[in-house]
Amino acid sequence: MKYTQWIIFGLVIGAIWTLGFLFETNLNPYVVRVIVNCGIAMILAMSLNLVNGCAGQFSLGHAGFMGVGAYLSAAITTLLPVAFPQLSFLREPLGIGIAVVVGGFGAGIAGYLVGLPSLRLRGDYLAIVTLGFGEIIRIIFLNVDAVGGPRGLPGIPRESTFFWVYFWAFVTFLFLYRLMKSTYGRAILSIRENEIAAESMGIKVSHYKVVAFVISSFFAGIAGALFAHYQGFIDPATFNFNRSVDVVIMVVLGGMGSLSGALIGGIIVSLLPELLRMILFTMGGLPDTYRMVIFPLILIVLMLVRPVGLLGHKEIWDFFPSFKKKKGVKAHG
Amino acid sequence: MAEFTFEAAGLGISFGGLKAVSGFGLKIHPEGLCGLIGPNGAGKTTVFNLMTGVYKPDQGTMTLGGQSLIGFAPYEIAKAGIARTFQNIRLMGDLSVLDNVLLSYHFREPYRYIDAILHTSRFQKNEAELKDRAVELLELMGLANRKDDQAKNLSYGNQRRLEIARALALRPKLLLLDEPAAGLNSKEKVDLMHTVSDIRDRFKVAILLIEHDMKLVMGICERITVLDHGEIIAEGTAKEIQENPKVIEAYLGVE
Repeated sequence: MKYTQWIIFGLVIGAIWTLGFLFETNLNPYVVRVIVNCGIAMILAMSLNLVNGCAGQFSLGHAGFMGVGAYLSAAITTLLPVAFPQLSFLREPLGIGIAVVVGGFGAGIAGYLVGLPSLRLRGDYLAIVTLGFGEIIRIIFLNVDAVGGPRGLPGIPRESTFFWVYFWAFVTFLFLYRLMKSTYGRAILSIRENEIAAESMGIKVSHYKVVAFVISSFFAGIAGALFAHYQGFIDPATFNFNRSVDVVIMVVLGGMGSLSGALIGGIIVSLLPELLRMILFTMGGLPDTYRMVIFPLILIVLMLVRPVGLLGHKEIWDFFPSFKKKKGVKAHG
Repeated sequence: MAEFTFEAAGLGISFGGLKAVSGFGLKIHPEGLCGLIGPNGAGKTTVFNLMTGVYKPDQGTMTLGGQSLIGFAPYEIAKAGIARTFQNIRLMGDLSVLDNVLLSYHFREPYRYIDAILHTSRFQKNEAELKDRAVELLELMGLANRKDDQAKNLSYGNQRRLEIARALALRPKLLLLDEPAAGLNSKEKVDLMHTVSDIRDRFKVAILLIEHDMKLVMGICERITVLDHGEIIAEGTAKEIQENPKVIEAYLGVE
């Protein structure tokens, strides 16, 4: 009994590894790339969902924390071995694994520093402040010459594969799912529901806002680090305001506060433009820029038809009651 | 048994130039059942907000069992042992009825983050135990069969009951009920008043009640404080209050 969860965990990891192996040997690199980007988007969406959906605090600076993770991990694997040749092991898979985790912690610390003063604000004000911090982080990268400034940072070892991205997506899912099903999750949800009542029931609201923000930033940093080691090249423009908005769209589309909704939102927002590209191509003649018109139209229609997002506050298994017991295995959908 | 006596003296707060409450004093003994009445706008809810840390008093002292509560944030007051309900119901509407109650156990930190993430035996044991306790409490309030429903889908009367259940889950020394009978029909009101005295006996908790319905307050409260324009105009037993000319004046006006 005691080890059941570890066995299931191992099985899922094995399944992800097998899938990754099959995909990378059988599918064309473009398709694999789309799938991997999907996984990174899912991590971003799930992590932002904790702040925007569960805690009900509207943050618009997620790309900034992703950038912190990306730059920090890339600096560790790319710049450190150059400066100190004895640290060349950092370019090996193990070193990169460490760098990814360090990137996550760096982003978490950044989240703490940003969250502490700004989470006193609410609603629109918080959105503006987080947007501002996101931009500040980007501008810092733009002006620090050690990490390439506007030229970006090339030569990052390209070691994050399908397996590592979906491994982290699974870990993120499991972590956030279990967090939200615990007393800490209830405390975070109560902030969204009613701050005054939560405070009167012994919840230190300001503390849990920061907790949610830090955890969210941590996983954004992980996603950024994976992204950096997938692309092999990062520049400040990658982590601009548009990317923050993309993540917000994923969360809103999937349903605020729904973890599985964030997964679906992540898949749709990263997959739909690519699908539209293919559809337009097969229809012949239509320029591929049309997809950037059709995609927003689909979003608008969806929001008009279902303003709470695809799943609302619910999880996907709430719609299939008999499915409820198998929830742990859904992370690599 | 005097250790958890609540005592307030000279409490006052003003908003801008308006003195909302001034010179408010109150003593509630353990397991006492007191009422706070007064016409609309007298400052009753403001008193509650002062007692629960939502507002910080400008002057005065406030102690529970000898410990000063001045300057405490609402969550610290809740930990210290004062729980409340709200006049305009403030439930976690999208959470289940059960989760609403479970939330109140949070501040006792039943387990740590790591237990929750790794589902350790401590998590499983304590979480199951909390759920049992919450269900027990819901049974007492007649809500056990609705435990998986979203709180916002409960009827108005049940929402009021859930608010009380949630406050009781904090295991308070003093329970503040802000117009618990507002919006209930007369049968529900009578039921609720029975529940209130039951709660006092079963949970050994002191209760302070705000209520508009004079008859109900007179029926169950041992001591009643009457507030008008932010000041106490009378204090005493139900009978004394009924005969007090100042109270009659505040409620009915002078001839």
